[in-house]
Amino acid sequence: MSYLDSLALTAPELILSLGATFLMLVAAWGGDKATRTISWGAVALFAAAGASLAGPAGHGGSAFFGLYTADAFGAFAKSLIYLAAAICVIIAPRWFEVNERNRAEYPVLILLAATGMGMMVSATDLLTLYVGLELNSLASYVLASMAQKDGRAAEAGLKYFVLGALASGILLYGISLLYGFTGSTHYVDIAHEMGGSAGMGALFGMVFVLAGLSFKVSAVPFHMWTPDVYEGAPTPVTCLFASAPKVAAMALLVRVSMVALGPATHQWQQIIAFAALASIILGAAGAIGQTNIKRLLAYSSINNVGFMLIGLAAGTREGVAAVLFYLTVYVVTVLGSFLAVLQLRDRQGKPVEAIAALAGLSQSRKGLAAALAVFMFSLAGIPPLFGFWPKLLVFQAAIDAHLLPLAIIGFVASVIGAFYYIKIVKIMYFDDAADMISPDNGLVERWTMALAAMLLVVGYVLIPWLGAASAQATGALF
Amino acid sequence: MIQALVFLPLIAAIIAGLGGRWIGKIAAKSITTGALFASCALAWPIFISFLNGTASSHVAHVLNFIHSGALNVDWALRVDALTAVMLVVVTTVSALVHLYSWGYMAEDESQPRFFAYLSLFTFAMLMLVTADSLVQMFFGWEGVGLASYLLIGFWYHKPSAGAAAIKAFIVNRVGDFGFSLGIFGCFLVFGTVSIPKILEMTPGMAGATIGFLGMRVDVITLLCILLFIGACGKSAQLGLHTWLPDAMEGPTPVSALIHAATMVTAGVFMVCRLSPLFAASPTASSVVTYVGAATAFFAATVGTTQTDIKRVIAYSTCSQLGYMFFAAGVGAYNAAMFHLFTHAFFKALLFLGAGAVIHAMHHEQDMRFYGGLRKKIPFTFAAMIAGTLAITGVGIAGLFGFAGFYSKDAIIEATYASNLPAGGFAFVVSVVAALLTSFYSWRLIFLTFFGKARWSGSEHIQHAAHGHDAHGNDDHHHPTPYADMHDDGTAGYLPHEAPFSMLIPLLVLTMGAVFSGFIFTGNFIDPEAGSRFWQGSIAFNAGLMDAREHVPWLVSKSATIVMLIGLFTAWWAYIRKPDVPAKFTAQFSMLYQFLLNKWYFDELYDLIFVRPAMWIGRLLWHRGDEKTIDRFGPNGVAEIVGMGSRLAVRFQSGYLATYALVMLLGLCAAVSWFVFGGAK
Amino acid sequence: MIALAAFYLFASVMIAAAAFTILSRNPVHSVLWLILAFFNAAGLMVLAGAEFVAMLLVIVYVGAVAVLFLFVVMMLNIDLAEVRSGFTRYGLFGAAIAAVLATEVVVADEAWHSGALMLGARQAVTPDNMPNIQALGALLYTRYLYVFEGAGLVLLVAMIGAIVLTHRERSGVRPQKIGDQVKRRPSEAVRIVSDQPVGAGVEL
Repeated sequence: MSYLDSLALTAPELILSLGATFLMLVAAWGGDKATRTISWGAVALFAAAGASLAGPAGHGGSAFFGLYTADAFGAFAKSLIYLAAAICVIIAPRWFEVNERNRAEYPVLILLAATGMGMMVSATDLLTLYVGLELNSLASYVLASMAQKDGRAAEAGLKYFVLGALASGILLYGISLLYGFTGSTHYVDIAHEMGGSAGMGALFGMVFVLAGLSFKVSAVPFHMWTPDVYEGAPTPVTCLFASAPKVAAMALLVRVSMVALGPATHQWQQIIAFAALASIILGAAGAIGQTNIKRLLAYSSINNVGFMLIGLAAGTREGVAAVLFYLTVYVVTVLGSFLAVLQLRDRQGKPVEAIAALAGLSQSRKGLAAALAVFMFSLAGIPPLFGFWPKLLVFQAAIDAHLLPLAIIGFVASVIGAFYYIKIVKIMYFDDAADMISPDNGLVERWTMALAAMLLVVGYVLIPWLGAASAQATGALF
Repeated sequence: MIQALVFLPLIAAIIAGLGGRWIGKIAAKSITTGALFASCALAWPIFISFLNGTASSHVAHVLNFIHSGALNVDWALRVDALTAVMLVVVTTVSALVHLYSWGYMAEDESQPRFFAYLSLFTFAMLMLVTADSLVQMFFGWEGVGLASYLLIGFWYHKPSAGAAAIKAFIVNRVGDFGFSLGIFGCFLVFGTVSIPKILEMTPGMAGATIGFLGMRVDVITLLCILLFIGACGKSAQLGLHTWLPDAMEGPTPVSALIHAATMVTAGVFMVCRLSPLFAASPTASSVVTYVGAATAFFAATVGTTQTDIKRVIAYSTCSQLGYMFFAAGVGAYNAAMFHLFTHAFFKALLFLGAGAVIHAMHHEQDMRFYGGLRKKIPFTFAAMIAGTLAITGVGIAGLFGFAGFYSKDAIIEATYASNLPAGGFAFVVSVVAALLTSFYSWRLIFLTFFGKARWSGSEHIQHAAHGHDAHGNDDHHHPTPYADMHDDGTAGYLPHEAPFSMLIPLLVLTMGAVFSGFIFTGNFIDPEAGSRFWQGSIAFNAGLMDAREHVPWLVSKSATIVMLIGLFTAWWAYIRKPDVPAKFTAQFSMLYQFLLNKWYFDELYDLIFVRPAMWIGRLLWHRGDEKTIDRFGPNGVAEIVGMGSRLAVRFQSGYLATYALVMLLGLCAAVSWFVFGGAK
Repeated sequence: MIALAAFYLFASVMIAAAAFTILSRNPVHSVLWLILAFFNAAGLMVLAGAEFVAMLLVIVYVGAVAVLFLFVVMMLNIDLAEVRSGFTRYGLFGAAIAAVLATEVVVADEAWHSGALMLGARQAVTPDNMPNIQALGALLYTRYLYVFEGAGLVLLVAMIGAIVLTHRERSGVRPQKIGDQVKRRPSEAVRIVSDQPVGAGVEL
């Protein structure tokens, strides 16, 4: 296979990275005034990268001596990532104009982060995995502390960086152990060795690798950074953290677990199952006492990751398909929720993050309150809404894989989760009006949010289509 | 056609019930009443076509309902002669009661609700009588139960009304439990809940046995008795009758419609609908006979001592239902249905007449405070007399008789002609009960309409005569014609005739009470015309009907004779020598107290069922629910979740070192699990 | 024999130096210990035949990174008391975790046969006669091209990030405007006043 063919298979990353360098040049000359132009340019690049998935980049197979694989699984995850990242680019300028000043580097960094995410989901070699992950992480650290006026942002960036470095160290140690005991960094070769005579050493490597990746998906007990970083980072960045990198890390974790560590499924199943339950329970319990809505959504994302991990713990085709299904619905919901949060502003136009300020929102901002209620009900998994189906699917997968206790505990814990989601609805609809939120005229945010809410309400008509898509994507791994 | 008949009341109920606040009182009342009259207008042609013999039974499919395995139930409306009779009874009485309520409820504030309930009840009753399957019948059965509950407790601010509603509901639950067991049993035995299919398969099941409560019992008998328990509950038969007198707490039109003419006859209807099944089990039929006869006797004895005008009629209803049941028990299902038919007219008439009296007497219901009303409210008096003539069965054979004369005599003769042991018992009881019926019915008339005015002692009347300061639901604003006290027993209060909206239903029902027996006796009772009319919709025993016409002279005249005795006794005791009753009660105080307290049924039930149930309930509530389930369940879990939340938040200290430590701890735990745990 | 002795010398000194890097109270000492650890790592690389990596360690890590660290550490005014309080707070616990992990790695190795190291089965084989540096270059620019370019992007992000986080527009400063300076013509800057009469003063 020639390098040209290989390059064709990595088209999305090429488009994004070359485009990012070009836009960086535009930023260098245009300065911060060019931010909006650069933003739309970045969105166009995301669209182009997404479109390139229809070509060989979507199903072309292995490239660069097996370092990279372009398949349906990667394409599925990438389209989600690009969608989420594009929305996070679009919504940023208004936030930065009010709270900071516009930064022309913001879209560029998101483009580079998305390049890293693309590398992560397509990686079939531990080296690609690591480089992609670092590319994404490094960009994220910078993005987290982009708000220079807010001390919390600097704190968030620093915490994220230090803990991320620790996690990277753990991951790297695991990778070197795996390499040492299996003689390869290539997924398929590792699987071959693990299926054969791999001893404790390889399992150790596996544990360290899984621990390092758990940090990225913020599964308990590697979740500690999540609430602080989500709260401190600028809201558009938080929106990004909660959506696109979650998809990338989850897809990466799935691919490593199923392809590289497939023969050791029985062993990692226990770790993943524990992390799943711990995430669900801690995510639910931790959210109850929160007063900041971004922090609450951080716990919510921990909680949701737990449900996805149940699907992974099943270790079956159905389980993985359920994870992809879940990811899709989760991304829509979380984007919608953050779009709603972005619209919470006081009279001076400053963002409002206190949950108490939502009181009586149903009177002052009917549409916003209704949309937020839809997101909360969907996150809680109330049946007619879309959020119910992926939960059902992961539980079904767990039961089919004879993990009944896991499904039951997860099911019970989801009731605890429902409490704080519905509490938000109660505050909006039944508490006395705090009258702190003033009308906001962000058309893009409003319509994107409305679209997300509509999707969740009528999403069940998409179930066959999404089910088929996720099943097809899963097929690439088996 | 039949769909419109059944669903018009439902639509009207929905409009009036949910939209009553917007469309207003008048519109709500007009819509419901109009719908009912339309239904009634649709029902009579169906009935007449069956009388002519031009119609045959058919089933109109409406909607799919349940299709699960062998269980197939659809919403379907069955129309045959039996249904046609019920359609006429239900829609006619219901329409008249709707109209009557315009006047009776004129000053109530929540009239749309009242009319919506009435229409809802009618819909449920129509679903019941048109049921093609036991499940749909059960739907209607529960629907009328619900409507009955809502209407008994219509004046929910009165504690006694609320209690009566709950009592009716709970007592009916006992019966419904039997009924539902019967339905389950039918599905178990026959594999279907379709009534025609069950009746078709009945002969093949004769003699089969089934294990029940550790015994081998006859299948048909068991099913019949279970279903009959349901019928007992709904039709207030001895044992499950206690709710019916209390149900009189509801507005009087409700008593007329639900607790006299229609709902309480649902049990009789069900037995007749399943008559081939009951006919196949002599044991079950005997049970039906004995229970019916005992109820007829019991209720009649209690009726002689009651002083509340509505309660007298309520016990009378209970007693008449007993008649219908033992008629069905001896195989004279057509006679039972005939009595149901005529009874609906004259009992509704009596109730509505009583309502008019109560209306006139400013919601005073105690007959001891009536007297001499025949001149004040002559029209009501005439109607009540017609009703009483009908219920006591006045008539001359071969010439003319009031409604009850035909139906009740047919039952009494059929019990004699059946030549069954249970039939003999029932005959004796029925004659005695007829005597008592005559006595208490005329007692009611004499106490109410004859003698001197006695209402000066009534609190209600004193309220009416001295302004309207403290009024509850019964706000009738009468002008006070004479402010000064009179010593003629009237306290200055002049009873007044009811408005036309109430008198018209009385008039129509009077027609029914006078002529319904005379006109329809042939179709219902005659051996030949009857079998043409019923078309196999009930187990029509032509032989029994034939034998009935050839009973000894004394038997056929027994009803008339005891009626005259009762009339004379009542006249003697309440007109001729008004001090006799007091002397009698003093002489036989034990017996009097026994009857006055309704054979102490309520007290007995209170002791046997209510108190232990309350005790167990309180035990489970405090110990079982609060201290065990809540403590370790919801409250405990909530507590644990709260603790977990605080713990999680405490770990989220904000210090980097803590976070790193937690991560490393997690890693360390995972590695340890692999080294020391069983992860092999 | 000498190689073995050298290995154990380098290895033990490196571990000790690494330990002192962490344990040392004085951050300047820590960096110095770190430099020692790098040197020993380089020695190990030489023993393993990876001369290029050894040189890289010395040049890049010792020569650049460590010295940079030294500057940073010396320029930052670190409060030692605070560092110590954190150390006593978490040190014991951290040490316990480290001990447990280390024990487990050793125990697992001994008791369960962790499996042979598979260095012979490496993926990217280079010709035997190819020099170290050449082999590395051949692999980096062919087989691992994709990852190598990815690493380049990581560096780009690091650069952008450093600028984004530290660069601010300050008000009240007067930066050089090179374009303006270059465009400046004598006519704008100078005025000839030579034909003015003496004693009339100067126009300012």
